[in-house]
Amino acid sequence: MNWRRLFRVLHRDIGYLLFGLVIAYSVSGIAVNHVEGWNPNYSVTVSEVEVGALPTTSLDAMEKHVAEALEIGTDDIRGRQRPAANRFIVFLPDGGEAKVAVDTGRGTVKRVTTRPGLFQVNVLHLNHLKGVWTWVADVFAFLLIFLASSGIVLLKGKTGFGGRGKWFVLAGLATPVAFVIQYYATR
Amino acid sequence: MRLARTLALSLACALPMALAGCCAEPPPSETSAADEGTVYGEPIGDAPLVSLSELNANLAVYEGKRVRVEGMITDVCAKRGCWMIIGAEEGADSVRFKVTDGVMVFPLDAKGARAEAEGTVQRIEHDLETTRNVLAHEAEEAGEAFDPSTVTEPMVVVQLAGIGAVVRSNE
Repeated sequence: MNWRRLFRVLHRDIGYLLFGLVIAYSVSGIAVNHVEGWNPNYSVTVSEVEVGALPTTSLDAMEKHVAEALEIGTDDIRGRQRPAANRFIVFLPDGGEAKVAVDTGRGTVKRVTTRPGLFQVNVLHLNHLKGVWTWVADVFAFLLIFLASSGIVLLKGKTGFGGRGKWFVLAGLATPVAFVIQYYATR
Repeated sequence: MRLARTLALSLACALPMALAGCCAEPPPSETSAADEGTVYGEPIGDAPLVSLSELNANLAVYEGKRVRVEGMITDVCAKRGCWMIIGAEEGADSVRFKVTDGVMVFPLDAKGARAEAEGTVQRIEHDLETTRNVLAHEAEEAGEAFDPSTVTEPMVVVQLAGIGAVVRSNE
């Protein structure tokens, strides 16, 4: 087996192997790229509520009042806080909260849901798992380097790297290089 | 062909099992036990424990020093999990526990849980416009009227540059 045939076999099979993770990382990459404009992990909905004036006898009484008005079970209350005389907060599962004014009972309820699929690929891509996953991700990265490198030398002739291939490689390199030059030029 | 299939099947079986094994054990920076809570970052406990009220009242004394605080998690960075607010159950005293993105990631559902956190005290002063925007947003969420002209002083945030934390469920 010559080296080009060996590279072709490895390129093909490693490509199959990495298919799932490449898609997962790419989707996560797009999602977290726009983190300034949206939340890639959670969907947050806020709705206005009015629960009536809260009893001020105790924090327990205030919590009970809010829970009953919003039909929240006691098991679903993670904690409560009164950060100011006229402000009362009840913490709900998954990061949600009910925040109301003590005197009027008006306020908001924030409900949080995890974005299915996206949350999990972000955990992998941003390496929240740490530990062994760090090494798996490193192997993945090295294999990607191999895929890119072997892809360049797979073909020979007009369509290979020696032919038009080198111009595509140069064009691909020129794009990030231009942005880096522009970044330092405008700092 | 048979070799390739065997190899692929072995990987397909072994990888999820290996992952299940590694994920069953929390990563080194985030370990947990039923009574110990979830540990983030470095082990804590060496720095002196300072109450939130003491820290907020005497910020100049503690600025630049390493301290430990305890309280309830009242807010968490929803996008990156890179900060959490630790406050008192009653009263405005609080501290923002901030870490570099990705070093520790606090889950959004930690809100309402108890936290013990250690870090270096920093004083962050917002400008007046930011202060008004923050207070307007808080008032809107809490269903209160807000007049920006009543805000004449910039807001000062007490921040801990995070070293480590332990988060314990209230349950």
